Amino acid sequence: MQVILLPKLLDGHTVDLLASEIATWPPEGPLLIDAHATEWASPPAFVGLLTLGQALEELGAPKPRFTLPAADTASYWARTGFLLHAERFFELHGKLPRRRADEQNEMLLPVTEIREAKDVHEVVGAISDRAAAMLRNELHLEASVVGGFGQSLSEICQNIVEHAGTGGWAAAHIYHYRRRLGRKVAMIAVSDAGIGFRRSLEPTQAKRYGDRWDDATALEAGLIHSISRFRDPGRGQGLAGTKRYLARWQGKIAIRSGTARVAIVPAWDDQPPMTTGLAWFPGTQVTLEVPGKEIEG
Amino acid sequence: MSGVIPLDAVLREATRQAYRDLVTRPTGAAVRHRLVSTLRDHDRTEALLDFSRIGLVDFSCADEVVAKLVAAIHELPVTRVVLRGVREDQAEAIEHALIRHGLAVLAIEDGSCRPRLLGAIDDDWRAVFEILEAVLRATAAPVADRLGWPVDRARRALDDLARSRCIVAHPDATYELGAFA
Repeated sequence: MQVILLPKLLDGHTVDLLASEIATWPPEGPLLIDAHATEWASPPAFVGLLTLGQALEELGAPKPRFTLPAADTASYWARTGFLLHAERFFELHGKLPRRRADEQNEMLLPVTEIREAKDVHEVVGAISDRAAAMLRNELHLEASVVGGFGQSLSEICQNIVEHAGTGGWAAAHIYHYRRRLGRKVAMIAVSDAGIGFRRSLEPTQAKRYGDRWDDATALEAGLIHSISRFRDPGRGQGLAGTKRYLARWQGKIAIRSGTARVAIVPAWDDQPPMTTGLAWFPGTQVTLEVPGKEIEG
Repeated sequence: MSGVIPLDAVLREATRQAYRDLVTRPTGAAVRHRLVSTLRDHDRTEALLDFSRIGLVDFSCADEVVAKLVAAIHELPVTRVVLRGVREDQAEAIEHALIRHGLAVLAIEDGSCRPRLLGAIDDDWRAVFEILEAVLRATAAPVADRLGWPVDRARRALDDLARSRCIVAHPDATYELGAFA
């Protein structure tokens, strides 16, 4: 059995860790994901772990074992909705908290499954009232910026329905980036176990790029050049509109697919715009971060 | 004759769900098909699409509902489509979609009677539109005079706006924004 020991903090790089620990795909033997030492997890980690579980299930691989963290952390994971979905894909070990997904927790959007257009409606509906108030009150965002946040969430979730060829996961939360930014940030994480950018764009774009065609060029085509696999000029609007919104409000977007990650990075962050040669991971992982308004004094 | 079409009702009819957000392409396409049927069944000069009871509008749905409807207007028995009760975030999504198609539309902001142009708008179009908003109805000459332009330049911008169905061109060579109350 292969053991993947999860660290204390599960952040935006958790998927990189999972990918690098799994040397071959599909994994050669059963997996044990050990989260006993984990104390904190962010939306990209939650949706990334579910993507791993989903991808293994879709391959017919044995259900991985998953060791839960300590009770207070596990209780929080239950409130986020993660454990509800994790039960489907992992054999959970440890004390399972009785508490379930809680509408009143600090998540903007609990971990939510996205399979079809009606799920996107539900996600957008879910963030329209309480979460919108949180964005206004905690991030001091104006109504139009809150609206743009919902538009971006909708578009990123639709990418799963339209392009992945399978389902995926979305979650959103507010964090305080004390050192990096000195402000609160709203984070959206969306991940699917689907075909990824390269295979989605391959039929229409691969010839244009020739030998250069790989995960990185596919991501560059999709995110930077807003190229869609459809010929309709109206297509590709989702990512293009999201980029425009993020550029206006100093937001950040990072997309990982296959073995590459591309990011549009605002001045407050130092992530490289392109990372290649990553260990392969199924599907596509998108992270959006929208900073709150700077309050003077 | 102009007719107000409440988009929230069209959304509910088209999806048979109690949705209030115009999101996703399938929803947008269903709403547009419903709108096209409604416009074909009623003899109107103007179709006023009322967004006031709509929540979120995303980029894809704005493309399906507004951009594709405006692009197909020549096939419909209406002179133009005007958007009403549009909030700022909705306007941004709609404008983004229209720009991708090189289209423009007249919109009335939520909570006001103030008209604005959304979409692929030339600077000259915006300038003559502002004059027309102030004078209500005019030929090209007084518009050009106010802007300090040659008459041909003002006429060209006004004709372009009329061709985009953002303003109305009359047989007596005058132009106006038209009725959109």
